Amino acid sequence: MKIDRTHRTWAIAALAILAISLIVYFIYALNSPQGSRGGSVIGLLFGIIGFAFMIFAALLGARKRVPTWRLGRAQTWMRGHLWLGLLALPMILFHGGFHFGGTLTRLLMWLLIVTVASGVFGAALQHYIPRVMTCDVPLETIYDEIGHVRSLLREEADRAMEIVCGSLSFPKSTLEETQRAGGFTALRPIAATAVPLRTSAAVSAGASAAVAAAHEIILLSKEQSAPLRGFYLSEMRPFLEHPKNSNRLADAPAASGAFAGLRALLPAAAHASLSDLEDICNEARQLARQEQLHRWLHGWLLVHIPLSLVLILLGAVHAVMALRY
Amino acid sequence: MTTSAPLPGMIEISIDGKSVRVPSGTTVFDAARMNGINIPTLCHLQNQTPVGVCRLCVVDTGARVLSASCVRPVEPAMKVVTNSEKVLNARKTLLELLMSDHPSPCARQEKSGDCELEALAKAAGITQPRFAKRMVVRGKDDSSLAIAVDHDACILCDRCIRGCDEVKNNFVLGRMGKGYSAVIAFDLNAPMGGSTCISCGECMVSCPTGALTNRGLAGTAIAADSRAEIFEAEELLQIPVFQGVSGTFLELNRGAIVKRRFRKGEVICREGEFGSTAFYIVEGRARVSISSPIAHVKTQGGAKGFFKRLTSTLVGREEDTREDEARDRTIPIDASVDLSYGNPVAELSPGDLFGEMTCMNFYPRSATVIAESDVVAYEMLRNVLDIMLKNKTFRAQLDETYRRRALENHLRGVPMFANLSAEFIAHIKESVELQRFAPGQTIVRQGEPADSFYLVRIGFVKVSENYPGGEVVLAYLSRGDYFGEIGLLSGGVRTATCTALDHVELVRISGDDFRDMVVRFPSVRSGIEAIAVERSAANKQRLQMVHSVPIDQFLSQGLMEAQSLLVLDLQNCTRCDACVNACADAHDGVTRLVRDGLRFDRYLVATSCRQCRDPLCMVGCPVGSIRRRNSLEVIIEDWCIGCGLCARNCPYGNINLHPFEVLADDPENAGRKKAAIKQKATSCDLCTHLKEPSCVYACPHDAAHRVDPKTFFAEMLSQTSAK
Repeated sequence: MKIDRTHRTWAIAALAILAISLIVYFIYALNSPQGSRGGSVIGLLFGIIGFAFMIFAALLGARKRVPTWRLGRAQTWMRGHLWLGLLALPMILFHGGFHFGGTLTRLLMWLLIVTVASGVFGAALQHYIPRVMTCDVPLETIYDEIGHVRSLLREEADRAMEIVCGSLSFPKSTLEETQRAGGFTALRPIAATAVPLRTSAAVSAGASAAVAAAHEIILLSKEQSAPLRGFYLSEMRPFLEHPKNSNRLADAPAASGAFAGLRALLPAAAHASLSDLEDICNEARQLARQEQLHRWLHGWLLVHIPLSLVLILLGAVHAVMALRY
Repeated sequence: MTTSAPLPGMIEISIDGKSVRVPSGTTVFDAARMNGINIPTLCHLQNQTPVGVCRLCVVDTGARVLSASCVRPVEPAMKVVTNSEKVLNARKTLLELLMSDHPSPCARQEKSGDCELEALAKAAGITQPRFAKRMVVRGKDDSSLAIAVDHDACILCDRCIRGCDEVKNNFVLGRMGKGYSAVIAFDLNAPMGGSTCISCGECMVSCPTGALTNRGLAGTAIAADSRAEIFEAEELLQIPVFQGVSGTFLELNRGAIVKRRFRKGEVICREGEFGSTAFYIVEGRARVSISSPIAHVKTQGGAKGFFKRLTSTLVGREEDTREDEARDRTIPIDASVDLSYGNPVAELSPGDLFGEMTCMNFYPRSATVIAESDVVAYEMLRNVLDIMLKNKTFRAQLDETYRRRALENHLRGVPMFANLSAEFIAHIKESVELQRFAPGQTIVRQGEPADSFYLVRIGFVKVSENYPGGEVVLAYLSRGDYFGEIGLLSGGVRTATCTALDHVELVRISGDDFRDMVVRFPSVRSGIEAIAVERSAANKQRLQMVHSVPIDQFLSQGLMEAQSLLVLDLQNCTRCDACVNACADAHDGVTRLVRDGLRFDRYLVATSCRQCRDPLCMVGCPVGSIRRRNSLEVIIEDWCIGCGLCARNCPYGNINLHPFEVLADDPENAGRKKAAIKQKATSCDLCTHLKEPSCVYACPHDAAHRVDPKTFFAEMLSQTSAK
């Protein structure tokens, strides 16, 4: 979520709560001969408020499970999650008087610190990465569809190769009529006879038409096509199947250089097909970038969510034990 | 009104001894028509580019051979004879030649008796052609469910081709072959049913013979109820306003026009509602009014207290008159009258048409109409109205009503015309021509001679200028705007091309009248000149900015046509799919949005119904299950048969077919049911049962918004224009 001016109200409210809490804490700490303690009235109050904030923050997950229930806009819940979750840390610190206590409380305190830190880290990632993804991946598709789009790209590349080099015995697609379309249209098969659709993804990227008109069929001789064949089988096809950073096609300038070199080696008649292959590579590279960014965007949740759950559980155990014993 | 010497751009000719004056570039056919002289034709339709292939409109211009009047431009001092013996003989021979190959009576003549060729032949007294019948049989094409093609009845007039290409911009029809084997062809000579033809019917309606006729299997109809009287084609042709309409067309569209009776006080239509029909009053009176308060939004507060928020309230005109409202203005509505700003109420009487824009462009109803006495009205769908508006009789009647009832208000609504004398306005009212243009039709073309001044009465007009390598959009004109003054004042040619963006209706003031006006009323001249200078400067500035990419994309992505877009701010969106999950949750587990689609700047226009102003998805549904409610949303009713036509028609891929489990008849056990999977079309319904679309409500990142594109992107577009 982008942290911008629209968060001002929440930020001011959080600062106000923090300021009031600080004042209360200092008055309380200065007036307590034995120092601040979690078991005192004020200490308990801070503990209850802090735990309530944690519970509220944790409820965001439950709220997301019932998206259509009119329990307040998800956006409000998310802002509450961010700011109140952040406030939970000082509240608990005030609760414990900045002491980490025994084993359970020490564990709880560290859990809270790591959970809040992971949340802050995640918020920072969600603030920046969407912008980076928007800029770097104009042909973005739905994450779950990347594998499908990649296989379509590979099939299209195979077809483009066979136009120039003749049959290479690649397995044929079950969707023989499917043509490649950048990003969005890759999801829907387009009949080969349909009017070419120029998708915005391609348009906004300034790319060529997403479904390009078929080029003239130019079959090269075996000798002429040898460099292209070698490049495709040893570098491009593996890259399309499993894009790895070690492959030079994963790097835009290096890929551009590779295609420029091939252009010099191949007759002009094959250049249009080569441009197609370069476009396919470019799209595959973008998909790899999307995967990478997507993992950053959501990977931190693998730490944040389990820790939050453990924190809530142990926090409840701590509350029961402290109040009972 | 006459002037002593011909004005620049005007040519004086004589037709059948009658001296007439017409603008340079007018064809002889149009010059004759404008002066009430009828010339028969088969290949020429008013709304199509003349091609002069049937040669039936030949006239004698004194040249060595007869000329086809539809393509022959007038020349100074030209003497035209349209009815000499030589001309009549030539026409008769042509008719005999055409009739010799014509399978008389053709399908059209048999069905509705209005084959134009056979009617002309009969009028010319041709019973038995003297010439031998063609030996080559061109055959029939019955592959289309909607339209039957009889190539033998085709006279190759090209009216269908121009209807398909020029009028509807479908570009499916063309010609194939040479000589006797020449035929009209669909795509690359594919059978009509297997071609990309969308069965819009324009070719069939354009066809003068029985070459393209209705098969009577597909049709559209207004929802029948006990108060709607449905007509047969023969009955309709007896009603004066329908005389001249193609019988084939009326037969095809049986049920697309009904007669309705409204009791006194009954609401005929309500402002803001969506609909798809127009009403033509036959009997009784109706009151048309705007019931919304005429007030504007004013923002107040701020200074009264530190915590007080700014508040926006509606303020009446009397309490807060704006500078630009100093004069009494009129409110243009979708009827033959305009409403007074001070008292927005008017009366509609027999002969009035209202709901034209709702019908043609699916715009919301602009006013509320209530029967003041018992009212009888024809309610018609777009396909019928479209054809009616092409009918000269009907159009002449509408034009007359408009001239009488609203034109003066409309003219005076243009600030610079406000001070014209009543006498001159009366003259203008008689001399202006009311013109209608279909979406995409070019109104004036850059470089053509400037012969008219236009006021936009209905619709949107795109003004663009060509430059080497492209086209720059200069402006969009809407109601009350005008164009054509720069070319007229400079006495030269059109400086820009104006194109109708939707169904456009214009008031055309001829160059003569315009010049007369600026001579007689210096204040008008100075006003127009000042605006012309301003426009020229603005246009020059815009031309310098040839890279208007965002605006181009805005248009090319069809965002202008949308009423409500689901946009995702990609800089906020974390791709968490909460919107998709919420949509699925709100719709029985089947999402109606795909978080993918077209990008405009940093926004993703998600694949979700845009509630288009012109919902193409509604065209052709065989069971009428996709329709627009009396609110914003397009809905798909339960009785959808899953044919997928709406999904194919939607240009943005926003309708999807989903499998649903249904109980169907068990073929193995008669009388019993068993579970079966059936496809049904689904699209976004804006979650109207909830206060806010679920996708927007469930977005935790403030990324999803349902917006009116023109408002939402206004700032971005204006920034681009101002660069």
